[in-house]
Amino acid sequence: MHKTLVSIAAVLVGITSFSGIALGAAPFFEGKVIRIIVGLPAGGGYDAYARLIARHMPKHIPGNPTLIVENMTGAGSLISANHLFRVAKPDGLTIGHFIGNLFFNQLMKQQGVEFDAQKFEFIGASAKEEAVFAFSKKSGITSLEKWMASKTTVKMAGQAPGAAPDNAIRIAKTALGLPIQLVSGYKGTSEQRLAVESGEVAGTSYAWASMRATWRKSLESGDVVAVLQAVPKPFADLPKVPLAMSLARTEEARQLIDVGLHKSGEFSRPFALPPGTPQERVQALAKAFQDTLRDKEFLEEADRARLDIDLVTGEELKKAVAGLFSLEPVVVAKLQEVLFR
Amino acid sequence: MAQALVFGLTQIASGTAFGLMLLGIAIGFFVGILPGLGGPTTLALMLPFIVKMNPVEAFCFLLGMTAVVNTTGDITSILVGVPGEPTAAATVVDGHPMAKKGEAGRALGAVLMSSLVGAIFGALALASAIPVVRPLVLTFGSPEFFMLAVLGITFVASLSGQDFLRGLISGGLGLFLATVGLDPMSGIQRYTFGQTFLWDGIGLVPITLGFFAIPEVVDLAVQRSTIAGGRVEKLGGVMDGVKDTFRHWWMVIRCSAIGAYAAVIPGIGGATTQWLAYAHAVQSSRDRERFGKGAVEGVLGPGAANNSTLGGSLITTIAFGIPASITMAILLGAFLIHGVVPGPDMLIPEPQGHLGLTFSFVWITVISNIITVGLCFLFLKQLIRVTQIRGSLLLPLIIMLIFLGAFAEKNTFEDLVLVLMFGGLGWILQRLNWPRPPLILGLVLGPLAESRLFLSTDNYGAAWLARPGVLAIGVLTLVGGFYPLLQRWQARRRQKGQPSVPNAASTNGAEPSPLNWGILFTLLILAGLVWALWESRRFNFRAGLFPWAIGFPVLGLVITQCLMELTGKVSNAGGDVAVEGSELSRNVVNRRTAGIFAWMAGYFVAIWLFGFSTGVTLCTFALLKIGAHEKWSLSLLLTAATWAFTYGFFGRLLHIPFPDGHVSLWLNLPSFF
Repeated sequence: MHKTLVSIAAVLVGITSFSGIALGAAPFFEGKVIRIIVGLPAGGGYDAYARLIARHMPKHIPGNPTLIVENMTGAGSLISANHLFRVAKPDGLTIGHFIGNLFFNQLMKQQGVEFDAQKFEFIGASAKEEAVFAFSKKSGITSLEKWMASKTTVKMAGQAPGAAPDNAIRIAKTALGLPIQLVSGYKGTSEQRLAVESGEVAGTSYAWASMRATWRKSLESGDVVAVLQAVPKPFADLPKVPLAMSLARTEEARQLIDVGLHKSGEFSRPFALPPGTPQERVQALAKAFQDTLRDKEFLEEADRARLDIDLVTGEELKKAVAGLFSLEPVVVAKLQEVLFR
Repeated sequence: MAQALVFGLTQIASGTAFGLMLLGIAIGFFVGILPGLGGPTTLALMLPFIVKMNPVEAFCFLLGMTAVVNTTGDITSILVGVPGEPTAAATVVDGHPMAKKGEAGRALGAVLMSSLVGAIFGALALASAIPVVRPLVLTFGSPEFFMLAVLGITFVASLSGQDFLRGLISGGLGLFLATVGLDPMSGIQRYTFGQTFLWDGIGLVPITLGFFAIPEVVDLAVQRSTIAGGRVEKLGGVMDGVKDTFRHWWMVIRCSAIGAYAAVIPGIGGATTQWLAYAHAVQSSRDRERFGKGAVEGVLGPGAANNSTLGGSLITTIAFGIPASITMAILLGAFLIHGVVPGPDMLIPEPQGHLGLTFSFVWITVISNIITVGLCFLFLKQLIRVTQIRGSLLLPLIIMLIFLGAFAEKNTFEDLVLVLMFGGLGWILQRLNWPRPPLILGLVLGPLAESRLFLSTDNYGAAWLARPGVLAIGVLTLVGGFYPLLQRWQARRRQKGQPSVPNAASTNGAEPSPLNWGILFTLLILAGLVWALWESRRFNFRAGLFPWAIGFPVLGLVITQCLMELTGKVSNAGGDVAVEGSELSRNVVNRRTAGIFAWMAGYFVAIWLFGFSTGVTLCTFALLKIGAHEKWSLSLLLTAATWAFTYGFFGRLLHIPFPDGHVSLWLNLPSFF
């Protein structure tokens, strides 16, 4: 017994001294691994941005850590947002990338939200989620006129309540009175695309920045047609596609589109850190994020992969989120009715 | 077409591409063999290299790696009973018993040969599917996907072994367990106990490791001998296994087809197809009693299917840009970076399209598997020796691999709790003769069935039931479901007149008392199910429909089972697996079983206290020195190796994010990693 105790002690001492070597003074991020937890499946738009940023951001962070991307999917990325808030350590080594429209869920006190959006530390957003509504050619909905004239409701694929595609589709339905039947439950934009291509639904809606990359061939061949865009000013490559705002007939409709589609675009693709992350690490990552998004090599690669880059800084993101939580109760009530009923 | 085929070959024949393929194979070889090393982690680390390669090189590297992972994963499954990859779990069920019978060589020969056949089949399926796949898959919608999931679930029937009712209950419980987590439609929490780690549902890896590897650990610890238990196989076992592949040629081909074509469906990968193939192997055998005890067909089926799956998932990735797995998603990223867009273009010859590139995938899959299988055959003799190492030296290794594997799937500490819980459950199921594979099949198919059911109803109302595809698959399902019943009925008729087979309880010499562990366990299932259904009263219609649709029928089945056991209509005491075939007394078996469970709990506590690598290293030393009284030199050597492996290899080199131990948190020590 005595012998065994000695041996255990010996092993313990060995291990402790060994690990001592690993410690030392260096920039915090040196030798560290930063994980970007993407709340949506690999292969989709959110994932594509995260992986691109993960490849280029290390050289802009002091200490050049390794960045890896992990996908934690489910419930329209709510799982990962909650994880970031409740479980992830606030040490600057976990970055979350999820659907910012979940902030609406918090505002409207939806079930399952276990985060406080205003407590996240934001390092920035890579693009604005500006929704485009697209339909397959064979559905017959090849223009807004045909859509409005449709006698039957038109099926559109969504993901889950509170997810960006669902929000956009619901707001279009209420504010513009378009004939829509939302079919929700597809996991990510790749499944939405397959549903459109197989004819299960007529069309769908998600961010143009992602759509033009992932659906490029079908859009070029005309098998899929962009019919409506929810942006204040038309996209450069969609000059003739009508704007949602120009169809709004009432003040209420304009408000819904402004808050629910335009303003939410800024915070819909956030890169966030858990609450309580040391400020100097937040600042370091926020700066690295900005530098990355202005990096020439990064921009070239983004261009090749056809990913739109539209930087929203951490500060701007924080303001946009704060703006959401200072909305008039009447507007909140109306939005809630549209998005969650 | 032929031109593109040749073009594809010439593309990978270049020096760099071929060299990268060999490198990929070398990495894949070890990724496959080591549980806990696989998928996301490895690929995340490979990503930076891929960006700098051209598409063909990137695919040579990634596909070369991916193509061999399942083959070498099967080796671990057979030799030590721990699935080397989540996709190689089904091979454990019959492969490891073969190793325990001293037939490791035959099992390996069979699995390697069938893997090769499967891989080639998958590659051919990919090549031949290229012209037809787009229109074919586009005729499928959510209703057809749902029906295919249902068809898969009916395979449970043939996985049930002798006891049909228990098999159905087990499969039903698997489907029910699949509802744990956030409901995919409305995000409501189901059976999560407020635990965030359960929101994603119960991971497949902790369950399979718990169900299959932990009972083997217990067995090894109880027997205190080698895996093969002193039984040494006669020479030529490997060739015998190779020949087995040809003896069961059509079954191997059918299982390959299951692997390749099931994988075309988004949401189905190797983790599912292996079990479908295993079920088919059981179903098509005349003598089902041998399964689970070392039937070579049970090795051939999954061996072929988990390899042919790659070809199938490539079909969907290439034709639609829908990645079936993270590997495929990363391939997709490589596509986009190089300006290649998956879709119809992949099926048009160069220079307008990329058909040659697509065909190069076919070649990579075939060539890398030939190389791997050839390599494995060279080292087979050395590999088989693992089964002759004494158990006391293997135990720490296997336990470490179990914990490592359970942790590394999602890098979640709580999964270590799950693996122990399901280990205990798996051990009980094994002892009481409950079939375990149906539960796994239910678990993997449940989520697919649920989400596609809702999408079908939302899209088509009730009209989806009348779609031709749905009807066709429905008929197939009925035939597949009822055929085993019919066979059973016929078999029973044939047996009539013969003296009735004495039931298991009496052959084991256990006293057939009305109340025993078997009945107690069944009652426990009943209680658990009743509680789960009572809990579900708070679910809304969307979140509740699937649990109810599964839960109430299973409740009926469990009640039937209870009644039958209580009235003595069926045997309720399980076969005494641990005692069978050995002279150990009941007391010794019980003591050693309790002992090994205590050790595993100790591992868990040590990991919690000291962090992963330190905890596991300490336990390894303790288990060797205190548990097994091994020599100082050997104990220290193996302990050092464990440390180097967990801390150095997994922690420092692969950056597995092990959580810090609580001791270091209390003492506020800086983070290890």
